[in-house]
Amino acid sequence: MNRKSTATPRGGPETDVQPPRLDAPVPDDGHGPEGTAAERVGPRAAGLPWWANPRVGLVVVIAVLVLGFSSARPAFLDVELTLVPLQRDIAVFAVVGLAQLAALSLGHMNLAVGRMAALAAFSAGLCYDRFGAPLVVGLVVALVVGALVGALAGGIITATGVNSFVVTLALDFGLLGVVALLYDRFAGGVAFSVRPPGLDALRSDTFSDYCAGSVCGPPVPLLVPFALVALLAVGLFFGRTRQGREILMTGSSPRAARASGIPVGRRIVTAHALSGLLAGLAGFMLATANGAFSASIGESFLLPSFLAPVLGGTLLAGGAVSAFGTVLGATLTSVIQKGLNLLQFEADALQIFIGVVLVVALSLDRIRQVLAERRGVRP
Amino acid sequence: MSVRRTGTAAVAVLCLTLTAAGCSKREAGSATGGDGSTLSASEIKVALVPGGPHPYFQPWKDAGAEEGKELGLSEVTFNETAGWDQTKQNDVLSSLAAQGYNAFGIFGVSPENINSTFTDLTDQGFQVASLASCPAGDENKAAFCLATDVEVAAYRAAQAAIEAMGGEGSLVHLTGNRVDSNTQRRIAGVEKAVSETGGKVELIQTVTDIDVDLQSAQRAVADLLAAKGGDIDGIVTTAYNPAVAAAEGVKEAGLPIKVVAIDDDPSIISGVEEGSVAATVTQNPVGQAKVGTYALSKLLEGCTMKEPGVAVDSGSFVVTSDNVATYDDERSAKTDELMTAFQDDYLSC
Repeated sequence: MNRKSTATPRGGPETDVQPPRLDAPVPDDGHGPEGTAAERVGPRAAGLPWWANPRVGLVVVIAVLVLGFSSARPAFLDVELTLVPLQRDIAVFAVVGLAQLAALSLGHMNLAVGRMAALAAFSAGLCYDRFGAPLVVGLVVALVVGALVGALAGGIITATGVNSFVVTLALDFGLLGVVALLYDRFAGGVAFSVRPPGLDALRSDTFSDYCAGSVCGPPVPLLVPFALVALLAVGLFFGRTRQGREILMTGSSPRAARASGIPVGRRIVTAHALSGLLAGLAGFMLATANGAFSASIGESFLLPSFLAPVLGGTLLAGGAVSAFGTVLGATLTSVIQKGLNLLQFEADALQIFIGVVLVVALSLDRIRQVLAERRGVRP
Repeated sequence: MSVRRTGTAAVAVLCLTLTAAGCSKREAGSATGGDGSTLSASEIKVALVPGGPHPYFQPWKDAGAEEGKELGLSEVTFNETAGWDQTKQNDVLSSLAAQGYNAFGIFGVSPENINSTFTDLTDQGFQVASLASCPAGDENKAAFCLATDVEVAAYRAAQAAIEAMGGEGSLVHLTGNRVDSNTQRRIAGVEKAVSETGGKVELIQTVTDIDVDLQSAQRAVADLLAAKGGDIDGIVTTAYNPAVAAAEGVKEAGLPIKVVAIDDDPSIISGVEEGSVAATVTQNPVGQAKVGTYALSKLLEGCTMKEPGVAVDSGSFVVTSDNVATYDDERSAKTDELMTAFQDDYLSC
């Protein structure tokens, strides 16, 4: 049929037909949109002065805030009551940020990130409640369910061509009802009360509770390695694998990506599945941190999920991501929240100050960019 | 590249080594003390922490502060920055603890998770009371729970509505967050009262998730009245914003619907006075803050709970045009009664 008779780059998203000689790997020479993609994910931003790197700015802002808060309130450095809970929050919100980053890499959004987390947490809770599954099985189920729902979102976007904003918004509404119904049906309320063995340790222990002889670990919560693994995996995926780079190219310019023979449709599904998988991980982590698999998991994920990657230098328009920057973004917002809590701001003042500090942080980023451009360097 | 690969390998090796070394877990409980030691009143700092900003909790601020002054406590603070988010509330609580607060009266954002938060705090030697809401399920890890029994309050509100409707007709229930176990209990309370009528009263709709703000509640009430205003004989509300919205909406629409509200917002009380609101069920936030602060301070001074985790009903009061002028006396009397009950029955000093 004529489907096979042509090799034009205008094939459908799922086409395997690739134009001759255009099936080259992503160029690494730093030119064009692909170059932008490679720059941000790579270990070093080629051609930019070090101070124009948004991550450096974030580290400086975080350091200044930590110094300021701890001199105003020495309790900021209290290990048990401040630093351990702070690390737990950062771990959860970094993973939430990475989940959004996976969608942002395409220039898409995942507005259902919280509800995907809720559904994943429900699945884990169901495994524990009904089948007495060990902790790790629930985690795997949560990841799989998250990835499947994400892939479904990606599939709908690819198949219909409808904007990701609309698709994930609709999915969010749908899942809101589904999650409530599922809890109603299977948990007889809004939460599973079951606690699999190991959950309490995972929730409240730090490595300092585990000793080999007289040497104990650092006061780092057991949840933190989950976020580190996610960070490493996402960083390597976008920075080192062909699939990851193809996703970024798709984000930069779907048309160019298609013309280069990238299976755009499949990459969209992959990116959204990754987003769902990470949302599932975040849901599992939050359920662990809060101590129950309940329907309210993920309700507060949406705004922080955008804040962390955007602060860290991920572009809303797609094509450039920074996994490490996302962790820094999550750290910044958590540090601000913690510090202002310690200073006992009133509810309204707290919101205003968080807004102000974020605007300042983003403005500094923009100032750095402008300065870099004036010096003749194109970021 | 190679540096990163080496780093990854190093992490993997470290993990394996740690596993192979068979790390043993340190015995818990040695790190922080607190239990057993008693404090004097001037060392006691109480924090009253609602789930977020809500008119219901406003009386806590003054009631707690007054009680603190009376008992000579170092400080009683009120912190409503949790923003209806359990993660944020946990954060607020640990921040307050880091600043030297040693007793907490908490309205948990999510009743199904809150026991974990209570355990965290009590394990570190702090005293915790669950105020205005008890944890979901049968277990309470706080020293005590002093709250409105929401199922009983909803049941009484529904009974009042059914009575105002003349014992028959169609009833609508307006309430808050569906995925909250307290809402589930309110729904159960209303359903119980309806089922007791033996089919004379029909619960035609339960509208949930409209306690977010007044505007969404007003919109929901307007939609409801437009769609089936003529078929409804009574509306029972078991959340604050729907109550205010229903009282106003029915009055404006001029429909002969009997509204039973909750709490004592001025607009509701004036509605009861002029007859547009059939009744309202008020709760006892002042008593919760006052008695809660008192009991928490006594626990830090060395008293213990005779029955740890006991749930105490802080009272609910049906207010109609007959007792609208005097219901507050009834409420103060209940608070005094609770104070005595804690002194004589619940605490062992």
